Amino acid sequence: MIEQILLQALNGLVVGSSLALVAAGLALLFGVLHIINFAQGDFFMLGGYAVWFVLSLTQNYVIAMVVGTLLVAILGGALLSAICWPLLQKSPVLILLATLGASLILQQVATNYLGGDTKLVPFPITANLSLGPIQYPLYYVLVVATGMGVLILGYFALRYTRYGIWLRAVAQNRPMAASLGVPVPRVYLVTLAVCSGLAAMAGGLLLPLYSVYPTVGNDVILNAFIVVVAGGLGNFRGAAIISLLVGEVLSVGSLFLMPNVLKVVLFALVIVLLVVRSRGTHGLVRL
Amino acid sequence: MLDVQELHAFYGTSHVVQGVSLSIAAGEAVALMGRNGVGKTSTLKSIMGLETRTQGTVRFDGQALAGMAPHVRAARGLGYVPEERAVFPQMTVEENIRIGALVHRSMNQADCLDAAYALFPVLRERRQQMAGTLSGGQQKMLGLARAIALKPKLLMVDEPSEGLMPANVELITNSLLEATTAGLTVFVVDSSFDLVRTLCSRLYAMDRGVLIGMYRPADFSGPDELAATILGEHATEASGRGDEVR
Repeated sequence: MIEQILLQALNGLVVGSSLALVAAGLALLFGVLHIINFAQGDFFMLGGYAVWFVLSLTQNYVIAMVVGTLLVAILGGALLSAICWPLLQKSPVLILLATLGASLILQQVATNYLGGDTKLVPFPITANLSLGPIQYPLYYVLVVATGMGVLILGYFALRYTRYGIWLRAVAQNRPMAASLGVPVPRVYLVTLAVCSGLAAMAGGLLLPLYSVYPTVGNDVILNAFIVVVAGGLGNFRGAAIISLLVGEVLSVGSLFLMPNVLKVVLFALVIVLLVVRSRGTHGLVRL
Repeated sequence: MLDVQELHAFYGTSHVVQGVSLSIAAGEAVALMGRNGVGKTSTLKSIMGLETRTQGTVRFDGQALAGMAPHVRAARGLGYVPEERAVFPQMTVEENIRIGALVHRSMNQADCLDAAYALFPVLRERRQQMAGTLSGGQQKMLGLARAIALKPKLLMVDEPSEGLMPANVELITNSLLEATTAGLTVFVVDSSFDLVRTLCSRLYAMDRGVLIGMYRPADFSGPDELAATILGEHATEASGRGDEVR
């Protein structure tokens, strides 16, 4: 039993780290642009398709990941800019509806042109890693390492790089940032592209585990929203931490509870977290 | 340096700036004064490009600014320090200063930080402190020091002395005076007679969205006379004392 729990705990890290990539993008987007992006799950889906497509051409998973992520980052940045920029000064509900519309269109386009079936790819690495009594797939470890590495890199980029500092400045006080010469439209574009790219990277990383199909993003986006709400809207670090917790709850919890019951438990935990935080207590997790 | 012609600004259905025309020469320090809510801040924000619904012509350093985004205006040498929310509260003092320096690739960040700290040494002591935890006066100092350290051609400052204790008003006045002496052009909105008299060679008076007169601070013997003339209820009638504004 202990081995099973340990195995599921490791699986939880895989789920959590990839979920963190999607959720961190969502959190960043809300923090900087105050946009709630319903299409984030679809960039996860597009990332899966892009990696699958480039992989079929190159047979090289690393190249497929890099090219696929960049492609979706550029496409996502351009698409979100086109639909969000004209609506920025208007009601946030309009942007929410616009991204919801974009999500439905992307899913339909994917169904029409890529088919409704699931695309599978083999594991790029089949070796196992010995972790005590457990033989754990090395690729899973790489997924966790990549996800966590990107998030840590993102955290330091936010703190120390030119765009990171600008991005935080725009998030906190857009008019003041602009008055100091910060190129706000460029910061927006980069943020939109990075957020799309993070989701695409997660989609590509999980492709060998879950495959890809037009509505795969729907399964991801709900958990990502739970994470972002619980982690604090716009809180990059909070989203990353809560993602890991959600991954663990879903994964380890599956040993003891039916999937539907598990979701109810997860929602209940999030509600408790929100209530505790809203009362001004410093909550279960210090973010 | 700055030439504004027939500037209008709108908030919803309110016509808050109604045909303001003014000019500021290079190296000059000029004030804009008036009661609360008459359109002074909107005038500054319109010049900076932060108001979205404006009409009129703004020429800065010989170039029309129409359609230019605020960050482009800033890159051309226009600086702005708002009355409120001039700092990034969840960033350190040092990061606040570095933001602007990061924009100007030719600017040495260490020099920029040193210039800001030289103006207000208290900022150096608190350089790792979150700006949002500074006192109101220190936040004003940070906003002003950052703007001056970026060496703009024209600096617009909104109510730098508002809500500050006299010692801090003196500090801020002196820092602005030092900057103007070094050649900085300043356009300041403020209600402090001492600050305006120390710093400015001219002042525009504004009431209900229009300029009602142009004066020299030396025209007034003290703050009471200034207030009675341009800040009082009969500002429009009193404007006869000043030069006619175009």
